[in-house]
Amino acid sequence: MRNTIAIMERELFSLFFSPIGYIVVAGFLLITGVIVLVTGSIAPGKPATLRSVFDFTPYVLTIIIPAISMRTISEEYRSGTIETLTTAPVTDTQFVIGKYLAAMIFYTIMLAGTLVYLVLMMIYGNPDVGASLASYLGLLLLGASFTAFGVFTSSLTKNQIVAWMLGMVPLMLFVWFAAFIVQHAQGGLRTAFQKINVLRHLDQFNRGLITTESVVFFLATAVFFLFLTTKVVESRRWR
Amino acid sequence: MIEVRNLTKYYGSLCAVNGVSFTVGDGEIVGFLGPNGAGKTTTIRILTCFHPASAGSATVAGHDVFTESMAVRARVGYMPESVPLYVEMRVREYLRFRGKIRGLDRDTRERSIARVTERCWLTDVIDRPIGHLSKGYRQRVGLADALLHNPPVLILDEPTIGLDPTQIRATRALIRELAEDHTVMLSSHILPEVEATCRRLIIINKGQIVASGTPAELRERITGGSKIIVEIKAPAEQAATAIRKLDGVRAVETHADGDWCSLAVSSDSDRREAIFRLAAQHDWPLRELRRDVATLEDFFVKIVAGARDAHSVAHTTGDQQR
Ligand SMILES: Nc1ncnc2c1ncn2[C@@H]1O[C@H](COP(=O)(O)OP(=O)(O)O)[C@@H](O)[C@H]1O
Ligand SMILES: [Mg+2]
Repeated sequence: MRNTIAIMERELFSLFFSPIGYIVVAGFLLITGVIVLVTGSIAPGKPATLRSVFDFTPYVLTIIIPAISMRTISEEYRSGTIETLTTAPVTDTQFVIGKYLAAMIFYTIMLAGTLVYLVLMMIYGNPDVGASLASYLGLLLLGASFTAFGVFTSSLTKNQIVAWMLGMVPLMLFVWFAAFIVQHAQGGLRTAFQKINVLRHLDQFNRGLITTESVVFFLATAVFFLFLTTKVVESRRWR
Repeated sequence: MIEVRNLTKYYGSLCAVNGVSFTVGDGEIVGFLGPNGAGKTTTIRILTCFHPASAGSATVAGHDVFTESMAVRARVGYMPESVPLYVEMRVREYLRFRGKIRGLDRDTRERSIARVTERCWLTDVIDRPIGHLSKGYRQRVGLADALLHNPPVLILDEPTIGLDPTQIRATRALIRELAEDHTVMLSSHILPEVEATCRRLIIINKGQIVASGTPAELRERITGGSKIIVEIKAPAEQAATAIRKLDGVRAVETHADGDWCSLAVSSDSDRREAIFRLAAQHDWPLRELRRDVATLEDFFVKIVAGARDAHSVAHTTGDQQR
């Protein structure tokens, strides 16, 4: 546990130190800000809701989350610090979890930045705070899942940009075309796609529903990819 | 402290280390010498649990590097060849992080940091970002990290590579000092480097151990085979026959050069005095009589060139492939 926390702290330090960290946060807040303005979420006379922000955010996150997680493991390989780290008494699991927690905390802080809109809305009107909090929980869980996938792709290469692409492209394909696939697939395939359709799970939260199925879906995928990551880190020793 | 048996490591089909065996005793300071690509780093990485061997076994501080990897890691201080560091961190932050993952509690950690920064002359740069430090200082940060948990075994991969002469001298002195209370194994591809610091040398080439012993032992083996060079004004054949009759002389090569001839005499011991008396007896003028002492450097160069000296081969083991 102590090792995991030490690795997490060190990674957070580097994330906050790096210009990429700030670019990612600024980019995310800028995009969500634009969404708020363009969709007129905060306008007198309209019902106060962050619904449009919550609807658009998953698309943005397919790009943003892999950018947060891309350096976590790949940078250790590039700089060679993997050698001092894995010859210290640290297990591969502690290493992977530490990296993951750092990326998750960074993501959570970034997401918390959008709470500004919620506060503004409470000043201007009377939004459904309960539903908004459910949506935030949904985005956190979605982040837990996407971040695990991002950390996994980061373990595959020593090049951060390659790690970003490897994380972003599948997530984009998955999220952006999910609805399309569900519409056009038939029978069993359709049911299967519905089960793993990230947007459907997120939509539950947006409607204020916290279902076990959706919570388990996000957490299980996170655990699955973290497990894969430890296997990749382990197998890279054998080369 | 370190015991290596038939260690073999393949990278794909390339055999980087081939059936290496050696031991390093408690409190010894041993130099692991070999040209670039000999397999030093590969061997060291197996000993420090960075990657597993393809075959063979190794124990460090009484623990198997493969099955008791955590115990080994806790007892080894390792400085990798390239001294990888987090350049965005300050020296103190880095050492704190390393202390944490070494399991040192806050008090021990701060005391250890104070101890190693003093020992490695880092006090002036302790609050500077590592990325701003020169190569020499980074090397010291790597060394300070290796010493942080006061490990019984220190393994240093090319600790003086890339340093200037003053820094090399300071680092050597530090390593010698550390050897007083640690078992030290350090690698180098430069002979004077290990000769100056180490009590014993293990020489590796093309993944195999070719010789091992103290510098004096190795030197003796070579000088045992050294030659006496004689330049004498005498008929070549007659002189050679006379010298051959001396005790302990094994062979004489002759090379005539006008009135003079030069002879290379191989003998078990130093026969220069006898040769002088022989020349005086026959009234042959001598203009040169010297012992051609082969240096360790010659020996090392010869090994690197692949010409292995039959009687200096300590042990080589056959293929360990399985
Ligand atoms: N990660 C690796 N993958 C493939 N080959 C390697 C790797 N590391 C080292 N080698 C090869 O193994 C041999 C021994 O290398 P190394 O142990 O680094 O030698 P040294 O440290 O003595 O210079 C060299 O031929 C080198 O090219
Ligand atoms: Mg090397």
